[in-house]
Amino acid sequence: MSDPVLSLSGVSLSLQGNAGPVSILHGITLDVHRGETLGLVGPSGSGKSSLLMVMGGLEQATGGHVSALGHDLTGMDEDALARLRRDHFGIVFQSFHLIPTMTALENVATPLELAGKPDARGRAAEELAAMGLAHRAGHYPSQLSGGEQQRVALARAAAPRPDIVLADEPTGNLDSTNGAAVIDLLFDLRDRHGATLVLVTHAPDLAARCDRVITLDDGRMSRAAA
Amino acid sequence: MSKLRLAFRLARRELRGGLQGFRVFLGCVILGVAAIAAVGTVRESIATGLAREGAALLGGDAEIELTYRFASDEERAWMRSTATAVSEVVDFRSMAVTPGGERGLTQVKAVDAAYPLIGRVRLAPDMPLHSALAGTDGQPGAVMHPALSERLDLEPGDSFRLGTQDFRLMATLRAEPDNATAGFGLGPRTIVATPALDGSGLLAPGTLFSSKYRLDLPAGADLATTKEQAEQTFETGGMRWRDARNGAPGVAEFVDRLGAFLVLVGLSGLAVGGVGISAALRAWLAGKTRIIATLRTLGADQRTIFLTYFIQVGVVALGGLAAGLALGVGLPVALAPLITARLPVPAVFAPYALPMAEAALYSLLAVLIFTFWPLSRTQEIRAATLFRDGSAPARALPRWPWLGVTGALLAALVAVAALFSGNLPLTLWTAGGIAGALILLAIAAQVVRVLARAMRPRTRRPPLGWALAAIGGPGSTAAPVVLSLGLGLSVLAAVGQIEGNLRSAIARDLPTRAPSYFFVDIQKAQMPAFRDRLENDPAVTRLQTAPMLRGIITRINGRPAAEVAGEHWVLSGDRGISYAGAVPERTTITAGDWWPADYTGAPQVSFAAGEAAEMGLELGDEITVNILGRDITATLTSLREVDFSTAGMGFIMVMNDAALAAAPHSFIATVYADPDAEAAILTDISGQMPNVTAIRVKDAIEQVSGLLRGLAAATAWGASATLLTGLLVLIGAAAADQAARTHEAAILKTLGATRGQILRALAIRAGLLGAAAGGVALLAGITGGWAVSRFVMETGFAVIWPSALAIVVGGAGLSLLAGLAFAWGPLRARPARVLRGRE
Repeated sequence: MSDPVLSLSGVSLSLQGNAGPVSILHGITLDVHRGETLGLVGPSGSGKSSLLMVMGGLEQATGGHVSALGHDLTGMDEDALARLRRDHFGIVFQSFHLIPTMTALENVATPLELAGKPDARGRAAEELAAMGLAHRAGHYPSQLSGGEQQRVALARAAAPRPDIVLADEPTGNLDSTNGAAVIDLLFDLRDRHGATLVLVTHAPDLAARCDRVITLDDGRMSRAAA
Repeated sequence: MSKLRLAFRLARRELRGGLQGFRVFLGCVILGVAAIAAVGTVRESIATGLAREGAALLGGDAEIELTYRFASDEERAWMRSTATAVSEVVDFRSMAVTPGGERGLTQVKAVDAAYPLIGRVRLAPDMPLHSALAGTDGQPGAVMHPALSERLDLEPGDSFRLGTQDFRLMATLRAEPDNATAGFGLGPRTIVATPALDGSGLLAPGTLFSSKYRLDLPAGADLATTKEQAEQTFETGGMRWRDARNGAPGVAEFVDRLGAFLVLVGLSGLAVGGVGISAALRAWLAGKTRIIATLRTLGADQRTIFLTYFIQVGVVALGGLAAGLALGVGLPVALAPLITARLPVPAVFAPYALPMAEAALYSLLAVLIFTFWPLSRTQEIRAATLFRDGSAPARALPRWPWLGVTGALLAALVAVAALFSGNLPLTLWTAGGIAGALILLAIAAQVVRVLARAMRPRTRRPPLGWALAAIGGPGSTAAPVVLSLGLGLSVLAAVGQIEGNLRSAIARDLPTRAPSYFFVDIQKAQMPAFRDRLENDPAVTRLQTAPMLRGIITRINGRPAAEVAGEHWVLSGDRGISYAGAVPERTTITAGDWWPADYTGAPQVSFAAGEAAEMGLELGDEITVNILGRDITATLTSLREVDFSTAGMGFIMVMNDAALAAAPHSFIATVYADPDAEAAILTDISGQMPNVTAIRVKDAIEQVSGLLRGLAAATAWGASATLLTGLLVLIGAAAADQAARTHEAAILKTLGATRGQILRALAIRAGLLGAAAGGVALLAGITGGWAVSRFVMETGFAVIWPSALAIVVGGAGLSLLAGLAFAWGPLRARPARVLRGRE
């Protein structure tokens, strides 16, 4: 098996709540390999999304080690983490998180512009067209439906050809038809570009399409299934 | 339950949640009310001070002023029979000359033994005035304002000369009870006893002086009746009456007008505050959309919803109003000792009902105008909103009844402003200016957004692109930022341009055309020697002389002058009048014909064309002028061009020589000379002719400049209140926008943006918006400055670039400051927490 693109060792995460520190993750040790699709499942509040955020450097682990593509995330400052995401990650959220002041095209072009890629807008337009949204390129997020917004978010995540795609309940806010379309696009992304895909989901049928599924319960890995 | 009671109950429940979201709203109301209340309180305090000290300022219960002459025996007899005490004061300008030859222009007040009837003249060293005026060692005494004694290097005990009379300086003046009525004097005060002037040659016939008779009236005397009696006694005497009801009419009027003007400037602050109020209310109501939709689901009708939120806004606005009044009234009252020390007039600082009512009324109307529009949108929120995206329906304009109500409220605000300021044209100009600037700024904000959207695709640098997207995209704060900052900056820019142009008109243009000296009180017999000295001096480039008398226009075509020409400045006091046979050189006749050089018929007068037009005078009108107590009626036969802007010689009226030549009079001369020769001319003329008074034009210009600087400073303070409100609105907009910017920053960080890039984007966005506001303010300020300079001040206009550019830079700087002050939130945002918080 190839070297892991993501490697977590004894990772724990505590956050400061109003009533004191709250432990979210406990001793997570896990490797994710290139091209693999990993599903994270478990009840609400089990720590799935937090684990995904730790993997993307959006949340700093309070214990253990996290490395991505050979980079140790634990000691990185915020800007170094941002640059790592820029060069290697694509992230998709349940609530899409498009920038409301930017058009669909500008949203997709932003990571390409950040990476200094030539013809960012042209490539963004191609990516939107691939998602079936060429006619919506000049629309602002508030002018798009939920399904369309999530497809724009997918195009944005895919545009820089990331090594790793992290998706946090990408179909959580969509109806079944739109949800299925988004999942197809997400897996197509893995198939076309060989990206590693980690996704959090509540949907059993979506989890079933993954190479491997890890169940979390109260911040601990309770079961891993291939 | 009635809708109102239900609305009250619902409003109370919502308000229990605190004033979150109302801070900027409250701040704008408080600042707007406070600025207007503060100006009103200071104005009312001075008015009260002037009224309370009226008699002391006047120097008696009433004053009768005569120009150029003393009272006749008959008039004196009436005054003695009417008043319990009478004091005679003579006021004129002269030159104080030291033994070393130093000369200074002084406003001499010659007093009798009864002076002052009210109050006390305080001297340093402390001594009774009449002991000081008695003098010592056979020399009559004098007291002098320290400004003059210091300039002439005179100490108590030193001698100086007025005309041909030597005086001993006994003390310096610390306080003069009747100073406010002295008006705008060109020289510091010297007080002497009238009898001491007998040998000075200063009060010879034809000399320019005024005599003032202060009357101490019996207790309970009716001032109005006494005034009527005086007018009958002095019917043809060119008398001016003042009494303690308004002891310093000039000062009172000035303070009143300045106050009214500053309140109008304050209204621009209220307009900026209104923009903030409106923006804050929109943001607050946007957060209430789901609650309103829920209430609609539960059966609340549109009226109940409107009342619920109107009551909440009303309660908060009334709270702000009370706080604003407390601040606006409390601050001047608390700072009373400081302000009083700097005021040249008495003031009684206290809370006054009228300015409080004025400020409250203005603010209530402004709050209603700016809240009805956003509040009207609550009626458009439907229950179905709950099942959509939760955002309110977007409608460009409210329904027509609301537009009608807003229009009516605006008209009421303008009417109230006109009523309080007493100046409808100025109010309409101000209202038009504010409305014009707001419309211009609103258009500019839209243009900025369109430009930002157009430029966005052309940008290669991500931070600039994000900034342009934030400016041009949905939820942009361009409108409130450009409007609030822009209006404050526009007022400041206009003030800067007007003041700069006035200053340059005075400081740069005038002295190149203005004479070096005015010489007044030259006796006819002295004219040959006077001409001889100056006409043979190669350093003198031009000498202009004319006979001069002073008179008051009393009637026009047989009717009281004020009835015909209103309150025109030409009628406000005595004016210089000259006479001539042939047309004087450099005279341009614009209408009618000049009388023949040897004309000896009925009196004819030539009038300044501009002033004649303003007063509605026409050729053939009969003008009655009281000169030295005698009425002379002359026919208006020609109009002349008179340019007062050059500070040269300009007479409103010139009569044919036969009409006036026999009356006692003196001559006036303007001397244009090289600056290097000025000192020698002054020394020679005042040495040979001690009674002649020289007025250095540069000194006079400096005094006028000082007055204008003071006015400009007062206006700038008023405009600063507007800018402060603008800054508050700016901060409010930045604060309201912070959540959106933090969300945006979290997404950008997720996509790989560094904090430096995000900070640059925030700075570029704030700087661009500020520069846009500054740019529009520059345009509005220059336009306003040009209009006022051209049509009101009637000076030339050139853009004062340093002041103009400072406005743009200042605007960008202020916006940048406000933007960066709120950059901390987006910069420190942890993406995971921000984004998950929005899941």
